[in-house]
Amino acid sequence: MEKIKLQVTNLEKEYDGQKVLDKVSFSVNEGEFLSILGPSGCGKTTILRILIGLLNPDSGVVLKDGADITNALPSNRGMGIVFQNYALFENMTVLENIEYALKIKKENKTPSRKKEIREQVLKMIEHMELTEHIDKRPALLSGGQQQRVAIARTLVMNPDVILFDEPMSALDVATRLSLRKVLKDIQKEFGTTMIYITHDQEEAFAMSDRIMVMDKAQIVQIDTPEGIVGSPANDYVKEFVVDNIQIKVDSLVKYVRG
Amino acid sequence: MNKIKKSDATKALLAFVFIALIFIPLINMFMYMDKESINKVVSSAVFGTAIKNSLISTIVSTVITVVLAFALAMSIERSSIKFKKIFSVMFALPMLVPSISIGMGLTILFGNNGILTKVFGMTQGIYGFWGIVMGSVLYAFPVAFLMLSDIIRYEDSLPYEAAKVLGLSKFRQFTAIMFPYLKKPLITVIFATFTLIVTDYGVPLMIGGKYTTIPVVMYQEVIGQLDFGKGSVYGSLLLIPAIIAFILDVLNREKNTNSYVPKRYIPSNRLLNRILAYIVCCLGTVFTLLPILSFVLLSFAKDYPNNMTVSLDNIEKTMKLHAGEYLINSIVIALLVSLVGIVVAFFTAYLSARMKSKMSKFLHLSAMISAAIPGLVLGLSYVITFKRSPMYGTIIILIMVNLVHFISSPYLMMYNSLSKANGNLEDVGHTMGISRAYMIKDVFIPMTKNTIIEMFSYFFVNCMMTISAVSFLANTSNKPISLMINQFEAQMQLESAAVVSLMILMINLIIKGVFHFIKREKHVC
Repeated sequence: MEKIKLQVTNLEKEYDGQKVLDKVSFSVNEGEFLSILGPSGCGKTTILRILIGLLNPDSGVVLKDGADITNALPSNRGMGIVFQNYALFENMTVLENIEYALKIKKENKTPSRKKEIREQVLKMIEHMELTEHIDKRPALLSGGQQQRVAIARTLVMNPDVILFDEPMSALDVATRLSLRKVLKDIQKEFGTTMIYITHDQEEAFAMSDRIMVMDKAQIVQIDTPEGIVGSPANDYVKEFVVDNIQIKVDSLVKYVRG
Repeated sequence: MNKIKKSDATKALLAFVFIALIFIPLINMFMYMDKESINKVVSSAVFGTAIKNSLISTIVSTVITVVLAFALAMSIERSSIKFKKIFSVMFALPMLVPSISIGMGLTILFGNNGILTKVFGMTQGIYGFWGIVMGSVLYAFPVAFLMLSDIIRYEDSLPYEAAKVLGLSKFRQFTAIMFPYLKKPLITVIFATFTLIVTDYGVPLMIGGKYTTIPVVMYQEVIGQLDFGKGSVYGSLLLIPAIIAFILDVLNREKNTNSYVPKRYIPSNRLLNRILAYIVCCLGTVFTLLPILSFVLLSFAKDYPNNMTVSLDNIEKTMKLHAGEYLINSIVIALLVSLVGIVVAFFTAYLSARMKSKMSKFLHLSAMISAAIPGLVLGLSYVITFKRSPMYGTIIILIMVNLVHFISSPYLMMYNSLSKANGNLEDVGHTMGISRAYMIKDVFIPMTKNTIIEMFSYFFVNCMMTISAVSFLANTSNKPISLMINQFEAQMQLESAAVVSLMILMINLIIKGVFHFIKREKHVC
């Protein structure tokens, strides 16, 4: 039986008279990779921002490990977030970017803690294959390298849930494929729960344990990839998700070896 | 939710402080305009003449300025000549001295006994209309040049490439591509130039002779006659073009929402273009260097024009007339205005650019309105408002009025700079437990270091050379050195006026030079 990490109940949010989230309820299992798939404007980013506390819902409850975090500070939720445009500190090197948030905490100012943190950060940099770039500023890095720094910066805070807001949209295909592997490896090694926003059906299917399909402020279907292909909940899911995947597969299958 | 309310309250408070520092004095000035003063002004003989003179001389000067600045900007941005950086520095030189120095330089060159008057075989000097036009063009064209350079530099070149492929002539390219692009910004440049020239008293005071203009009359009424009532009437007149220019600028301000990055224009190598560009730039350089050379001549010649041996006598004489003390006044004012100004401008820009809400727009506008108030008007309104306060007569009122007068540009520089920073940075801070204070100290300030340097440079240089707002507020003990020029000229001590002008130029050049090198060092990439 899967342990439930996040329980979201009846989220509602309205902007300028328009409903962005309409009684949205779902749960996220511990350690799972959940994609939120849907077209622009369907409410995906709003859910993410409410989950991490950058936005307050008009009504609804967010429980993490059974505790009500709906109104908790974003920094007190044990969650991290990775953005599409990396949001790195342009004036700091890779090393400084990753260690900054830890360095400035009051409890980390002792020499022994400083040493521990430095070691932690260096290990993370090696883990993310960034060692040769350690003293470079973001302007000298490629998009994929910058995103690795952003991921490392979040990981080093030891969150048990990481949120991803279309992190690969600005990257070329080769970089996307290598970063997919990075994320899956992190999920396996650290057991991190990952919630991943994308509008790319293929990406969702390749990476997720479950996919949550959204449209017009509501959840249309939440199921494993096989479940969605096998029994799409309605015409929308069938056209937006299943048919789209089928077209891609059909156009490529003749080139597959073996 | 409480956090949002607190920042909105701060913004509102700050906005009201800006507005209060400008509108309360302005309203006081309007209240000083009683019926009697208005009648005295309107019925005076000089009134109609001054308005006519101001309008005609300013319009002519504006046209010449904009054409000249456009030619120079095109020469620099659209040709492949060498020495572009040096030329650009030359064109910026008049911005480093008070307008009154420019006027004085022209009288030295083209006055009745002027150096060049005899050379060109003129029977009398260039006082009056043409003197004012020449001086105003010299005074205003650097600003117009900078504005036009910026506009031309960032024009996308792709439409021109398409036009070439389509076989459009150069003339058609201009009418179909460049002119529509330039139309709106050009209006802003024209009105900004017009306002700059029509509100200046330095040039007409020096070289206007009997050709009276409104700022000169205002200056004479306030300083000479101590008639604040009549001064207020003239001040209100000067507000009109300034406010129009401000509104146009705000309306035309293109939000940087380009969905593409404009392709930089690569200048052609045509010989004709290069020759033309060199000619225009050399003429421009000669034009700007002439008054400066006149300062050098008068300062270092023992007794121009009789004794041309090089000597430091004039400098000694000027220092004995307390120039050193006044120079220190200027530097102290400039430093304090710069330091306080940077902090205020940064803080305000951070609130309006990084903490966006409905209140941000209000704060943004209120931080810029001082650009709509000419220095003379601000100075007079401050005299009227603060005459009985303890700050009056001290250096504090001078610092205050310069702060208010000069803050809008540096504020806008920092606003634009902060707006360019990644929009998710605050989110990163919130989610990782990094306080705003730390984000500002370790991220936003380092990121905007170059802008901060530009802001310091702007405040400092302008404080050193301003003669407008401070002219009514300074007294003998706290006078900035820029106000000595008029005094020395009136006392027929032209050499001292030249020495002082050179001093101001030197200090401003040093500041600009130092900051230029600091900026280049910081360019690690």
